[in-house]
Amino acid sequence: MKKGISRRNFLRSMGIAAAAGGVSLGGLSRLSRLSAQGSADLPRLVYLFPGAPQPDVQRVQDALSAYMAERIGATIELRATDWGTFDTQIGLINASAESYDLAFTAPWINNYYTNVNQEYLMPLEDMLPELAPNFWASLTPQTWEAARVGGSIYAGINQQIFVKPFGPYIRTDVLEAVGLGDAFAALTSYEELEAIMAAVKEYVDQDETLTHVTYNLGPILTEENWGFDPQLPNSMLVVRSTDDSAQVLIYSQTDEYRQGAELIRRWYQAGYAPSDIQLWTQMDDAWLAGQFAVRVSDIVKPGGNAEVQARWGWAVTSKAIAEPLLTTGGVSATLNGISSISANPELAVQYLELANSDPVFYNMLCKGLEGVHWEWADEDQLLIRPANGAASFGDTGYAPSTDWMFGNVFNSYYGDASQVGAWPETAELNRNARPSPVLGFTFDGSSVQTEIASVAAAYQEFANPLGSGVVDVDEGINNLNQALIDAGVERIRDEMQAQIDAWKSANS
Amino acid sequence: MSTHTERLREQKRQDTDRLMNWLSRFSVHFTLLCFGLFCLVPLLLIISASFTDEIALTRDGYRLIPSEFSTEAYDLIFRNPTVIVRAYAVTLLTTTVGTLIALTFMSMLAYVLSRPDFVLRKPLSFFVFFTMLFNGGVVPYYILMTQYLHVQDTFFALMLPYFVVAFYVLILRTYFAALPSELIDAARVDGAGELRIFVSIALPLAKPALATIGLFTALNYWNDWTTSLYFIRDPHLYPLQYLLYIIQSNSQAMQLQSAVGNITVGEVPTQTARMAMAVLATGPAALFFLFFQRYLIRGVTLGAFK
Repeated sequence: MKKGISRRNFLRSMGIAAAAGGVSLGGLSRLSRLSAQGSADLPRLVYLFPGAPQPDVQRVQDALSAYMAERIGATIELRATDWGTFDTQIGLINASAESYDLAFTAPWINNYYTNVNQEYLMPLEDMLPELAPNFWASLTPQTWEAARVGGSIYAGINQQIFVKPFGPYIRTDVLEAVGLGDAFAALTSYEELEAIMAAVKEYVDQDETLTHVTYNLGPILTEENWGFDPQLPNSMLVVRSTDDSAQVLIYSQTDEYRQGAELIRRWYQAGYAPSDIQLWTQMDDAWLAGQFAVRVSDIVKPGGNAEVQARWGWAVTSKAIAEPLLTTGGVSATLNGISSISANPELAVQYLELANSDPVFYNMLCKGLEGVHWEWADEDQLLIRPANGAASFGDTGYAPSTDWMFGNVFNSYYGDASQVGAWPETAELNRNARPSPVLGFTFDGSSVQTEIASVAAAYQEFANPLGSGVVDVDEGINNLNQALIDAGVERIRDEMQAQIDAWKSANS
Repeated sequence: MSTHTERLREQKRQDTDRLMNWLSRFSVHFTLLCFGLFCLVPLLLIISASFTDEIALTRDGYRLIPSEFSTEAYDLIFRNPTVIVRAYAVTLLTTTVGTLIALTFMSMLAYVLSRPDFVLRKPLSFFVFFTMLFNGGVVPYYILMTQYLHVQDTFFALMLPYFVVAFYVLILRTYFAALPSELIDAARVDGAGELRIFVSIALPLAKPALATIGLFTALNYWNDWTTSLYFIRDPHLYPLQYLLYIIQSNSQAMQLQSAVGNITVGEVPTQTARMAMAVLATGPAALFFLFFQRYLIRGVTLGAFK
């Protein structure tokens, strides 16, 4: 009997809760479906991209639509999807042939090459020169090559920093304390960094907060630091950036790799880095906490120091060591594609023209509306600040903060005084970069997938110890090479070489 | 003399018995205790981490007692509590409304399936059973929901998928089938119609089964985040679990992004803030569970007797 009563109570409370839910359902009706009505009968382009949905997006979208309606006779719907779920959602949208017009795509999210292979994207090379002349002309033909797959270009390339001039970052206060500012500014190789590392080590030993010179030595071995263009992640397959015959090499068999590994081993034994291997995420937090002073290899770019300081709270000095190299991966890192089932591909191309060559339109998309989300701090310098005294752009209701996703970043207004002038410098860096001998080539690994998986496993197992310096170099490299060969790296290399040769003869 | 030895021996045997008894009980308890700790310690670590100073957390790692006490993570979240409050509202609504509708549908379906005089009993049973073995997969599911039912980005999309769960229907059917058919005949003789029999006779008798299935369904709704992953883009409609998932996966995606190198990321939520979110999201749910625990235990054993 007791049980029965409690059951009845249980059901009754469920009933009350449900009734309350039903009542509030009426009140929460605005939670239901956002109506997607157009501002007019003009065609509406749907643009999908990753990012946190912005509270004020409707307002910005209306302004953009009005601007577009006058110029190209179309309107836009901005559909942001959270970072972590974008891949899943766009995968479903593509697989179910749901219609959209434009989408952000790249080798690292919403995979560009998968999209091309599955025919989710539309070839654009015929439409771009005609419908987006300024955009088309703003990039060199060489650069456009990077987006070419099997002869066609399937996406517009957003201009941003294409090159990866890696180099060390050091905390300015530490650099000044050891008095080696000039030596740091004159660095041309990692060997030369050794003297500075040694001096910093002495300083670290006296300091209370600093625990190590650096956390992670592995990035020294980044291929670009030693003059190579990496061809496939976790495979060790590279092409020497000065080799016009484009021979595919196994990175761990080169002298440069040995040199780098020996350096790491020496520095590890000298105690410049902690002996337990730290994760990257912890490294960032430790930097924030002021526990180490050097990041051995990060991209050194105009305005980069201010960016690092803003993110990790310490003023830094940096020096590029890697030669700026124009690679397929660097250029294709940020693309916008047009769906192969888009009803208005011409309009979508015209949209790309606006986003990449019209600063007013582009900044509206990136920063929101003048006077609402931002205002001029100094119009001559193109410097803006959050509107109406807001503490940060994030508080204004519209700040996707992903300018590189939407178009040509060199058109964007500066949000921070320390960044002023960074864009022309970066554009210069892109322009002067040496094109990789295999710029425009992308490897199709479908015929050697098994080998790629086992090589990646061997790489993870044997390359990481070398990168942290915990193993003897000779032994480590021998083991690594043997493991790579056992895993079939040579078959991938031969396949890649054949594809490169075919690509070269097709392009010459 | 001999009786004395016997008594001593008897005494000894009893002692060893008692010892063995104690030992076995101790080992069982010890194992269970360890298991309990394995479950409890991670929770305590999260709670402790959420109350730790961000920098101290990096320096000292996770500890059971915060090395430097700080409520900053909670301050940060409660500066803008609407997100989490709204997520709670969405979750509570889907759970209560969804469970009620689901129970209605499932009990009706299960009841007709349990009646031997129902003409379509066999084909309908097969229809239900078939979906347990085979399903269309994610893409057809997505197409159905978005291109035929057009429920994406609605509250309804969050509830629809669990309205009828084939397995629960089968459990309920078994329970209904066990009700004596004489009862139904008697009710009919007394002049009750089918609906009346269902509402006034079958349902009240099936209360234990309904409570169990209701609890299972409620837990399904409470813990569900995949539905939102597929169909919800509007942040106003994020349920609690999905909000947590988004926060976690966003920070992972942002780290991936910075690994790509030549692009900059937005602000990654701090470790402590993430922990505080987890505490706020799971805390009340854990209490909810404690409150309903006995129903759950009863529910789990329901399948055991028949």
